[in-house]
Amino acid sequence: MAERLAISELESFDGRAVRECIRIAGISTAIVCQDPGMKWEVSEATAKFLVNATDPDVEVRVAFADLTETASGDRVFDSGALWQLYRQEERCVFRFVSPVFGPVPYKIARFASDFTSGDVYLHPRCSPRGQPAYPLEYPLDELLMINLLARGRGAEVHAAGIIDRGGNGHLFLGQSGAGKTTMARLWQNEEGVQILSDDRVILRNQGQSVRIYGTPWHGEGRLASPACAPLKRIYFLRHGSHNRVIPQRAAEAVARLCACSFLPFFNSEGIDFTLAFFEEVVSSIPCYELSFLPDQSVVAMLKKREVE
Amino acid sequence: MYKGPEQESLDQRKPYLKPDLTRVDLRPEEAVLGNCKMSGVSGPSSGGNCSPAGPCFTQGS
Repeated sequence: MAERLAISELESFDGRAVRECIRIAGISTAIVCQDPGMKWEVSEATAKFLVNATDPDVEVRVAFADLTETASGDRVFDSGALWQLYRQEERCVFRFVSPVFGPVPYKIARFASDFTSGDVYLHPRCSPRGQPAYPLEYPLDELLMINLLARGRGAEVHAAGIIDRGGNGHLFLGQSGAGKTTMARLWQNEEGVQILSDDRVILRNQGQSVRIYGTPWHGEGRLASPACAPLKRIYFLRHGSHNRVIPQRAAEAVARLCACSFLPFFNSEGIDFTLAFFEEVVSSIPCYELSFLPDQSVVAMLKKREVE
Repeated sequence: MYKGPEQESLDQRKPYLKPDLTRVDLRPEEAVLGNCKMSGVSGPSSGGNCSPAGPCFTQGS
């Protein structure tokens, strides 16, 4: 059965190995393929995160395989849409199915329990040989990241992130439609301001400070940067009839962070870590609800608050 | 009047605040990375820019 392909089988390909490495939030992932029929293509945003790393944190090997409808292992989680997670012995296996291709998975990804190594199998009927493909295409790239982060490294949140001219990070959280891209665009032309992302930001606790990192997973603004900065303020976005900042209590801030995060709900230890991590974050970083008008007046207000 | 440590401790307690419940909305379909980000429906190639050969981006922000 396709899911039972052994890692050693990947090593039997005769073609030259293709290797790319992507570093997001300080975590480097090498993607390796030895099939000459594999033609890679990464998005413009992802290309900003390509690095030369000789000692990656994660290694993912890619191959084509005729995948079958039958799943093996115990089903752990069903996303209700694109993917399902199975457990095979100690391995985590994601099966990706789309109505476009019917019940046969268009991709299967199998990872070691710590997610530092894995194999990705692409169905050649869905990703034909010789045609450009990105093996870690959404949502696999983010699934890999949230599982790595939940193992003591940090968390990915649904947010826009900016670095102000003083080098401090500001996080604007919200679900789809909350105004993340709008907020990022409002800051885009401010002198000395750098946009980390208009949709996905990663938080990590490093030493004595919490840092925010840009990701390639942008929103409609297509704003993405691999930069990072120490986090200074957290804002939960809300549409309003005027600009207003309301401090948030710790419990509410943690709840709102969770609601705007991408968590491995199937991993109780990971959830425990993330809750403790968020508690730590809100204990050191001021959190606010930000009601705002979608114009420069909100930027002016926030800049004024920073200098007062 | 002398107050013992127990009384002092009682005096320093925070005033009682009635617990209140705040509802925070979760969007499961977003939280589990389940759906196509562009079209809001399942599966690559199901709409928008999504396909197995290329990444898509989020609808709205």
